[in-house]
Amino acid sequence: MQQEVVLAMLAKEPSHGYELRARLQQALGPAGDAMNAGQIYVTLSRLEKAGLVSCEQSAGLPDRPDRKVYALTASGQRRVADWITDTTWPGPGLAEFHLKLIAAAAARLADPLTIIDAQRRELLRSLRDTQRAAMAEPDRSDAALLLEGIVLRLQADLRWLEACERHWTGRKDQP
Amino acid sequence: MNKTNESDGAAPLLRARGLSKHYGKDASLVRAVDGVDLDVDAGETLAVTGPSGCGKSTLLHLLGGLDRASAGEIWLAGQRVDEMGERALARLRREAVGFVFQAFHLMDELTAVENVELPALLAGQSPRAARRRAAGLLERVGLADRAGFLPSALSGGQRQRVAVARALVADPLVVLADEPTGNLDSESTLDVLRLFDRLHEAGQTLVIVTHDARIAATADRLISMRDGAFVDQTRLTGGTGGTGGTRGSLGALAGLEG
Amino acid sequence: MGKLVLAGRLAARDIRRHPGQAVLLLLAITAATAVLTLGLALHGVTSQPYQQTRAATNGPDVVAYLPPVTKPGQVRPGPPAEAATLTRAAGVTGHGGPYPVVWTIIAARGLTAGAETQGRPQAASAVDQPKLTAGRWVRPGQVVIERTFAEALGVGVGDRVTLDGRAFTVGGIAVTAAAPPYPNLCYVSGGGCMGTIPAGGFAISPRDLGVVWVTEPDVLGLATPADPLSSYVLDLKLAHPAQAQAFARANSGGPRPGTIRYGAGQGAGPTDLVPWTGIAAADGLLVQDEQQVLSPGALLAVLLAVASVAVLAGGRMAEHTRRTGLLKAVGAGPGLVAAVFLAENLLLALAAAVAGLAIGRLTAPLITSPGAALVGTPGAPSLTVPIAAEVVAVAVAVALAATGVPAIRAARTSTISALAGAARRPRRRRALIALSRHLPVPLLIGLRLVGRRTRRALLGAASVTVTAAGIVAVLAFHVTASGKLGGVTSGLSNPVIDRDEQMLLVLTVVLVTLAVLNALCAAWTTVLDTRATAAVARALGATPRQVSAGIAAAQVIPAVPGALLGIPLGIGLYAAASSSGRATVPPAWWLAAAVLGTVLAVAVLASLPALAGTRRGVAEILQAEAA
Repeated sequence: MQQEVVLAMLAKEPSHGYELRARLQQALGPAGDAMNAGQIYVTLSRLEKAGLVSCEQSAGLPDRPDRKVYALTASGQRRVADWITDTTWPGPGLAEFHLKLIAAAAARLADPLTIIDAQRRELLRSLRDTQRAAMAEPDRSDAALLLEGIVLRLQADLRWLEACERHWTGRKDQP
Repeated sequence: MNKTNESDGAAPLLRARGLSKHYGKDASLVRAVDGVDLDVDAGETLAVTGPSGCGKSTLLHLLGGLDRASAGEIWLAGQRVDEMGERALARLRREAVGFVFQAFHLMDELTAVENVELPALLAGQSPRAARRRAAGLLERVGLADRAGFLPSALSGGQRQRVAVARALVADPLVVLADEPTGNLDSESTLDVLRLFDRLHEAGQTLVIVTHDARIAATADRLISMRDGAFVDQTRLTGGTGGTGGTRGSLGALAGLEG
Repeated sequence: MGKLVLAGRLAARDIRRHPGQAVLLLLAITAATAVLTLGLALHGVTSQPYQQTRAATNGPDVVAYLPPVTKPGQVRPGPPAEAATLTRAAGVTGHGGPYPVVWTIIAARGLTAGAETQGRPQAASAVDQPKLTAGRWVRPGQVVIERTFAEALGVGVGDRVTLDGRAFTVGGIAVTAAAPPYPNLCYVSGGGCMGTIPAGGFAISPRDLGVVWVTEPDVLGLATPADPLSSYVLDLKLAHPAQAQAFARANSGGPRPGTIRYGAGQGAGPTDLVPWTGIAAADGLLVQDEQQVLSPGALLAVLLAVASVAVLAGGRMAEHTRRTGLLKAVGAGPGLVAAVFLAENLLLALAAAVAGLAIGRLTAPLITSPGAALVGTPGAPSLTVPIAAEVVAVAVAVALAATGVPAIRAARTSTISALAGAARRPRRRRALIALSRHLPVPLLIGLRLVGRRTRRALLGAASVTVTAAGIVAVLAFHVTASGKLGGVTSGLSNPVIDRDEQMLLVLTVVLVTLAVLNALCAAWTTVLDTRATAAVARALGATPRQVSAGIAAAQVIPAVPGALLGIPLGIGLYAAASSSGRATVPPAWWLAAAVLGTVLAVAVLASLPALAGTRRGVAEILQAEAA
């Protein structure tokens, strides 16, 4: 599980491990079914070691990971803020962006629509450059094939971003 | 969000202010285009995108004089288009504006070169001059060897390229393209993309309505429309992007870097 | 059974969706069937009234014209001995006369004509007593005039006329079966006049002759050395009227009964015997002309109707094909498909046939009262079952012939391509396309449109040809008519010519109406057909005026050779239809005017739908097409 995602999930308020897992599962739906409980806790401990997350034991409860309360440290918060504005496209994984939007909305870190917009712009530029490169390639070269694949993926991703935009615009209209 | 930025000091080639097109009235009033302001500079490629029914095709028809606006003003090279009579509009389409349609709209019984020369003949040019120019344009779009073919013998992409050649025969100020790749498969789309790119390099002003992101990505500027109004503008050439950068990102896009 | 109901319902719904076209189709076929009805109904019409007159007047079976003979020792001429011989001949059951006849010049109201003046007893005769339709029978100083003759002269009871300068009063108007009515007195079958007509002094055309009756003393008083008694008329009744012709031939002294002999004097010529059949035929000549006009006219009307329907059907072909495809796709067999097609066309054809029959029946009396000479009007020419059946058959045949080709094409198209709406691909005509490049824009568009739908252009040319042929035939008739009235015209109205002109007027009106319908249909179908192409042309920079001019040109271009072809056709048509069989060529400038007029009319008619069609916005059309 990507570290930044877990960090962002904690941005709203400190939570128990099991609460985190529950929220992740709700956000991911069926795509999160394959998610291993252990992955989250491994990431959490790494984050703790890196000093991005602090961990407290709930009083009076046995020492189990799911009973601990995790919270962001100051550097953790900074990391989250950077990640929010980062537009590096992670590739095939859509979950990250999806969760980014959800986290941003829940914690009021940023307007999801702005995030989507910025990402869209970036993807368009990438698409443009990729197309340029594709056209510069000789016909039917292997590299052109790879580039076409990238173009098609970008196209698909852009369409998904349009769907995200529609969805989050609707969300905004709801109370 | 309806105003676009003035780019440089030179006057824009195509301007629109407060452009609107309404249908019906009262309860059934439909605002196909709702108070649009637009500036297109010479040599610029502008892409207009949006969901279907957002009015982008209508906007294009208004700009090209195929339809009359309910309100607003349009200037092309300093002339008011919205006030022109039918004959002046016809002349506009003959001399200043070239149209490319999603459905190609080629005449089935005419060969490629006969299709391309048609606007020139309609404009009263001599048959020989028209034929010469048409042949030259077909060569420019890479279809010189198919000049004598009927549209039924051409692929979708080839047909659209013939249509583009036809749009260029009058050396127009601006080419307006309405979903040019809407009916094309992926490979034909690439052919048309290449053509548009070459036109852009040659300095042709293009306004393209599309919901194909690949076409949109070739533009200098991208405008999003929704419900008849402009909602967003993106400048794709020049300016800076986000922190992602584009240079080495092809590798990332391909999934090479972790 | 369910299939028929379904077919009927589909057909009815289709008709309701395109009411305009259904109406046009109906009009076209109705006009043709009305004309056809008239033509057929006229065929047996006059024998009836003649029979009526014969019965009412106890008309003779044979009429004999005997030369007067002056017996030695007598001052005045009298009937020859032949008269007695004839009355006693085998087969003769009764007789009337012999009555003296003098040919006089009758003058009334400034008009002059020739009158075969018969002297009659004031008492009624047993055989051949003319039936009075007004006034009283002969009295001294009074003359009874044959009805059509009286109408032509414009006189009624009580008017003053002169016979050879002597004043008489019109005492009565009557009809007779013993002589053909004015103006056919001299047109007994075989081409002759009845009786002899003195030469000299008679500069009157054979058509300006009629029968009048006066008292015997009056007629004898009219005989002068200059204008003597010309003959004695003897009416004979036979035991077997059917053998009148044989009797006349057997007993006639001359080579041919009823041949014209101008100039024979008294006592010089052999006896003329005219059978009642000859009189009936001469009488029928009045209507014969009309028949001669109506039959080719009906043919023309039917042809035009076929062309109109074909154009209408052709225009709907794309939709028809699609509908056939739909039916086939949901499992309709060829039987049902054919049934739907038939139902739609039959419904309209039958309705048109009924309407045409009704119109024909109502208007026939106006046309067929064959001169006033015969008692009573023939009334509605009997709409016999054979006539009605023939008219219905023609209507159905027209509908089927015109829609046959599209229907067969539709049935043969595979279901898939029918559904895909693959309308007929426009034909490519290299020569036309190459030629059109050098022409101004409207002709460029027009010529290319002609090349696209050649069959429709040919149909248009054909209907213009038919119309032009009709007009040229009418012109040829006018030329002949003025020729017929040539020589000394007495100024009398000629009912035959009048009626012929009436007929021709009606026919011309029907033909022109059909032609107008045709032109409008063709132009409108073209407009609908080329809507998308026209929109694209306008998007490429053609002005709306150029486009509508192009559509109009597409109708005019085939119309020119069509109209020119109509000239020889019309002349040939008239020659074939006229009794003389001679080809009359109207003057050149009339022909030129006819051709120009027709072409101009086509141009104007075509531009109406064309202009209407270009009023829709280009963007609308293009979006509708792309949808």
